[in-house]
Amino acid sequence: MLDNYLPVLIFILIGILVGVGPLVLGYFLGPRRPDREKDSPYECGFEAFESARMKFDVRYYLVAILFIIFDLEIAFLFPWAVALEGLGMVGFVAMTLFLGILVVGFIYEWRKGALEWE
Amino acid sequence: MGFEKFLFYCFAAITVVAAGMVVTRRNPVHAVLYLVLAFVSSAVLWLLIEAEFLGIVLVLVYVGAVMVLFLFVVMMLDVDLAALRAGFVRFLPIGGLVAAAMAVQIFLVVGPANFGLEAFPKPPAAPAEYSNTEALGLALYTEHLYPFEIAAVILLVAIVAAIRLTLRRRPDTKYIDPSAQVQVKKGPDRVRLVKMPAEGKVETP
Repeated sequence: MLDNYLPVLIFILIGILVGVGPLVLGYFLGPRRPDREKDSPYECGFEAFESARMKFDVRYYLVAILFIIFDLEIAFLFPWAVALEGLGMVGFVAMTLFLGILVVGFIYEWRKGALEWE
Repeated sequence: MGFEKFLFYCFAAITVVAAGMVVTRRNPVHAVLYLVLAFVSSAVLWLLIEAEFLGIVLVLVYVGAVMVLFLFVVMMLDVDLAALRAGFVRFLPIGGLVAAAMAVQIFLVVGPANFGLEAFPKPPAAPAEYSNTEALGLALYTEHLYPFEIAAVILLVAIVAAIRLTLRRRPDTKYIDPSAQVQVKKGPDRVRLVKMPAEGKVETP
């Protein structure tokens, strides 16, 4: 079975080569004459206002966690779709119930306005 | 067999190094990125023991979604590195004590008897057309139907809890509802004429 994944491994190796190769070539071949101005952080021409560590709005977190929940739902769908022929009606009803429970949550978040970005 | 073993040692080394970087990097964003590398190489390790579905789900769910959440949390926490490092020496003895106690507990529960090649003999290699995902699906939606539906309820609870905890209206934003904007009708919705009495003549001095 692992033989099936040999092309994936070759793709990964080529991908790493294409990604890392230019960086390595640039590191060795390119001229590097750093000075103080080049190394200082650049922010549209003026001095940096403040540290980059600042508080984000918690709403980004809400979007991410809702994304994770529906991502997990999709992860449950994959083996179901592959095995549906062997599962028959029981599997279909089971998944309908599963999706039904999650649709309740979806309606809740829609009605609450969690998907709106005001 | 030799090549598979070589791949295993390569990716196992990458995983261990990346995991070490996660706990030693000063910059939390770098630590999260090393955690992504550790997850990807553990996905390859899972592929090597022919648990292909788990490997793909690890990349899909953990790298794709959980790491985004981690990045948000790291950015939201407003981590003050100097303050975090301030009590390092002071808390070192008690921290080491707790770590040692936990290590002993783990050792007592899962001792060396549970590990080793005798405890986990290599399963026979599956034929090329064997589908791991299908076998998982056949077991999950028949034998383990009840835990599967409970998983749906847990996800529902997570949705409700996340919304209750983090959703808040901010009345100070100048937000315009696009659907209300589209439904504006010609006439009274657009322009409101206000009748006002004319001002009297202003006497110029």
